[in-house]
Amino acid sequence: MTSPAMNSSLGRAARTWERARRPDRTHVEALKARVPYWFVVLVLIGFSILQIMLNPFGFSDLTQRYAQDIANLLITGPYLYPTTGRDQITVALIDEESLHGLQMPWPWRYGDHARALGALLDYRPKAVVVDFLFVDERNDDTLPELVDEIGRYKKAGVPLYFEGGIDLPYGEAPLLPKLAATGVPILDPSIELYDGVARQYPTSGHCYRGGGDTCLSAALQVFKDVYPQYPLAPLNDKMELVWGTKTAPINIKLNHDANGKPQPCSEERGALVRTYRAFFDKHTAQSACPYTAIVPIQALMMGLEDKDVSALILGHVIFYGGSLQGAQDKSFTPVNSRLQPNVFVHAMALDNLISFKGRPQQNVMTLGGTTFSNNPVQIMAIVPIVLILSYMHMRRIRWRQQKTKRTRGAVMEWFLDKGVEKLWHWLAFFLALGIGLLLAMWVGLSVANWAQDVFLSVELAAMLLIGLPDSIWGYLHHVAGGRPAHSEGAS
Amino acid sequence: MKRTLLFTLLAGAASFCALPALAADSSECSNLPGDAVLSARTPQVDLYDAPNGKRIKSVDQDKFPKCLAVTQRAPNMMLQVSVDGAVVWVPPHMVNYRLTGKKPAICRNLAMGGNDTKVGATRALGEDCPQKVGAP
Repeated sequence: MTSPAMNSSLGRAARTWERARRPDRTHVEALKARVPYWFVVLVLIGFSILQIMLNPFGFSDLTQRYAQDIANLLITGPYLYPTTGRDQITVALIDEESLHGLQMPWPWRYGDHARALGALLDYRPKAVVVDFLFVDERNDDTLPELVDEIGRYKKAGVPLYFEGGIDLPYGEAPLLPKLAATGVPILDPSIELYDGVARQYPTSGHCYRGGGDTCLSAALQVFKDVYPQYPLAPLNDKMELVWGTKTAPINIKLNHDANGKPQPCSEERGALVRTYRAFFDKHTAQSACPYTAIVPIQALMMGLEDKDVSALILGHVIFYGGSLQGAQDKSFTPVNSRLQPNVFVHAMALDNLISFKGRPQQNVMTLGGTTFSNNPVQIMAIVPIVLILSYMHMRRIRWRQQKTKRTRGAVMEWFLDKGVEKLWHWLAFFLALGIGLLLAMWVGLSVANWAQDVFLSVELAAMLLIGLPDSIWGYLHHVAGGRPAHSEGAS
Repeated sequence: MKRTLLFTLLAGAASFCALPALAADSSECSNLPGDAVLSARTPQVDLYDAPNGKRIKSVDQDKFPKCLAVTQRAPNMMLQVSVDGAVVWVPPHMVNYRLTGKKPAICRNLAMGGNDTKVGATRALGEDCPQKVGAP
């Protein structure tokens, strides 16, 4: 025996289940029109959070990085990014051809590095960063020559930086003790790679000489010391690198093929061809040469007066590094078609700092002393877009209800619908683009960290166009026992 | 107009005054044929025992002799000279020197590496095992 109350609740549950299983289509369609504004907003924000936080199929990451690469190749690189930094940085490169030409096989002795550094000092650089690690103790009696060279830099008042090893076995010194004993500043050489491509740069690194748990990363420390006129903005997490595409003129001048014939670094064509290539044949839009100016070490070692070399070293920050086969120190960049020695990543990071006057683009947003990571920022950025699109969607529903009272020709109706559909998507696109650009200008948020919102907003617009939140509302309302107005009136 | 004229006159006078200095520079060590080290360029000049050798000593700029004949040039650009009767090698960036031959052109293939291949080996950078300092 069951009580009537139990019978009644069981009956309600059974009817709910039946409605959920076999909904009345006409009821659902009628209830759709009664979707409230808050529900539309809730569905869209819920969908956005799922997509941003869960990163389904890696879509979120892929969109970010793809957008960053395309922006570098098409917009920021060729048109927006200035050459301010490029004109103040040079890479003095030990490359295979220098080793061959000088008949100085690798690895070089300390004395050889001392000579190269001495040749650099002679041209009065602004600062020199040695991008070689001197970790292993070697049986080489020329070490005092390198120690003396560090002393000469000190005497000349030219800042000289060495880099220290990381992730070394316990007890291994990051820099040879005899070199460290000179008091030369030691930098953390870490870089950030994503799928082998250098798009970001760390803002902090190891502290080799005390001074806290974390110190500034290599490029940031050099910038802080050498460019005191630009106060370094407080940076958190990572820098988003903007890669320039206007290759240094000296690199175009130097570049020859294997037969000694001059060759261009990239095929320069108009903006239209460039855009086509960036989307459909990316490698041809990229440059084969590095962006930062190069002085081959061979040219330095000659010691002869050379206008190019003088102009590229005097008053410049020099990164002294290598491009050596088998040294595993190369990465891809968004704007180069070939692997680039990582010394160019450090150079590009400093280039960004100089060009943006100490306020580089970032992957985080700092507001009122609070730092927001990438995902919350994207969610915050999508909220105003959702509010605006939802509001316009509600207006559209009301307008449709009004419209049913009027009649139009079928052809007119079709064109109107198609026109509104296109306009609707573009509106969402430009709305997100506008908010993204505002964030980029206002808080220095990189395009990589808001580009997904642009794609997402178009998805949201499509969801609204097919009336997905309305359908969900209509269905749920129907399952919960809601009845359309005409049905209520009939009963 | 007057300012331009004045500037031109001053620049002309300055160039005229600088002429003897330039002439002296170019005629320095004119009695020495061939490649020659003219003078010291850096505050100290390091002297080496071989082109890839070790530094023997450093000589202050004012004590470094002028007009030295270059007896040999190494592939790594080191210059062989005779200082106080001893045959030594000097790094070219530390001295002002005269090169009689054609200056070698430096060109590069900057399209380094491949766009889809990478070296799958490590260069033997010093064959010794790293010595652990202070390790237990």
